[in-house]
Amino acid sequence: MSRSEGPFAFRPALRAGARFSREAKDRPILTFESVYKSYRSGSPVLRGVHLTIERGEFVFVTGPSGAGKSTMLRLLYRSETVDDGRILFLGKDVARLRDDAVPFLRRNIGVVFQDFKLVPAWSVYENVAVALEVLSLPTRLVRTRVGEALERVGLSGRGNDLAGVLSGGEQQRVAIARAIVGEPALILADEPTGNLDPQLAIDILGLFEEINEGGTTVVFATHDRTLLEVRPRRVVVLDEGKALDVPQGIAIDSDDHYRLPN
Amino acid sequence: MISLSTTLRARRGMMREWRLHALSIFSLAVAFVCFGASLLVVTNLRALEDRWAHAGRASVYLKDNAAADDIESVKQALLRVNGVKQVRYVSGQQARLDFGASQQERATALASLPAEAFPSTLEVEVVPEMTDAELVDMAAKLQKLPSVEDVETYQAWTERLSRLIRGGVAASALLALVVLGAVLAVVGSTIRLALQRRRTEVEVLKLVGATDRFVKGPYILEGSVQGAMGALGATGLLAILFMIVRGRLDGEFVNLLGLQPQFLPWYLVTALVCSGAVLGALAAMGSLRKLVLV
Repeated sequence: MSRSEGPFAFRPALRAGARFSREAKDRPILTFESVYKSYRSGSPVLRGVHLTIERGEFVFVTGPSGAGKSTMLRLLYRSETVDDGRILFLGKDVARLRDDAVPFLRRNIGVVFQDFKLVPAWSVYENVAVALEVLSLPTRLVRTRVGEALERVGLSGRGNDLAGVLSGGEQQRVAIARAIVGEPALILADEPTGNLDPQLAIDILGLFEEINEGGTTVVFATHDRTLLEVRPRRVVVLDEGKALDVPQGIAIDSDDHYRLPN
Repeated sequence: MISLSTTLRARRGMMREWRLHALSIFSLAVAFVCFGASLLVVTNLRALEDRWAHAGRASVYLKDNAAADDIESVKQALLRVNGVKQVRYVSGQQARLDFGASQQERATALASLPAEAFPSTLEVEVVPEMTDAELVDMAAKLQKLPSVEDVETYQAWTERLSRLIRGGVAASALLALVVLGAVLAVVGSTIRLALQRRRTEVEVLKLVGATDRFVKGPYILEGSVQGAMGALGATGLLAILFMIVRGRLDGEFVNLLGLQPQFLPWYLVTALVCSGAVLGALAAMGSLRKLVLV
């Protein structure tokens, strides 16, 4: 059962002494303003990306390999920093956060990866609970919330299993449980179905949709054309460093070209 | 302050990687055995210095023509001096006999020595608390007496011994420094290795919003535990070795040095374990300084 009551139930994890501005509730959850990023001089990955994502949205980010999908997400959770431009998360410029503020940003963002990023030697419970342990929550509360998160992803009763022995689909569910257990405002999914078979991929997508229905904003990066076709949602296409916003979703030709709706 | 979460995560890490930690503790114990051994040498050299730094006696050489009354009055005067424990008269003949008893193979050569070679003496034994200055002052006063030829306080000999012991202490301190370097290197390498093996764990922790302090805490605690356990293990090992050596050579030590060898005092053992813990924590902090952020 979802613990969130909607987009306005969000209470961010803040640094001690910091206050959450009420005005931030009315701002878009995510704004990219003329964002530039390059790893090598002369070949920028992102060149002036503009994008606004409202609270509670489900957005696909797609594009060919190397288009900058992962870079965009890495900039968001400050694994990388922008060369130019601004990324506003709840009105705060992520790029200008001090290093000691980055953990507090990440407590408000759940991230799911293609390679799951689980600790194989830890149990399912431990892998999920870690997101709450960093918040120093009481053990009893951690136990309750991890139990709820595992129930939401369909892994109820599997808490004692070692993460390393689970199937790919199950491991991804654990990663999703870890991402949602802290009730973040935003979930970033970086090719979360890349290692899964098509049916499992659709199941995982359904899980993200359920999470989104609870009010959490979801940014789902994928190049899996079938997922874009089965769920006509807002799509941001990244190509040659620019972002093309397609609110009604896209179709893809048989020769893999994106086709915008009429 | 160490939180419960840090302790639990450190325990979990150590239990999961117990082989690595056991190896590290063993390596540290070996390094600490060298360090502990050097401390043991220093401790016993100090005891030796305390025992021999003050000769605790003086020999008053009497003139050949000193009358028995004069000798007795000097003896009585000495016994009244504060700090003098015992005064014993040794005649020249007695001195020759005592020396001859210890050098029996050279009895013929000794018999040909003149009577002046063995003057009569008053052997003065003083309490250990008596300072060198007080002994020198007493010797100067004795020297002025008409029946006294010379006074030997054995200071030159004790000073030479003190210099030798100080040299030994300095050499042991140098060895201790080398061992400290080894301890830092071993703990540092182990923590770096543990960090490498638990890279995914660190990456996950950073991703879910753990602060640097939260991530580093268990590693620093692990380093500290390793250091303390290494030092404790080394002390135990050293104690066993000490018992074995003392059991076999105790008599020889007493005959040669005039005192029984002693093990490290409890406060030094405590200091060794605490310094192991601190060194371990410092080495871990050093290795974590460049923790890669994700």
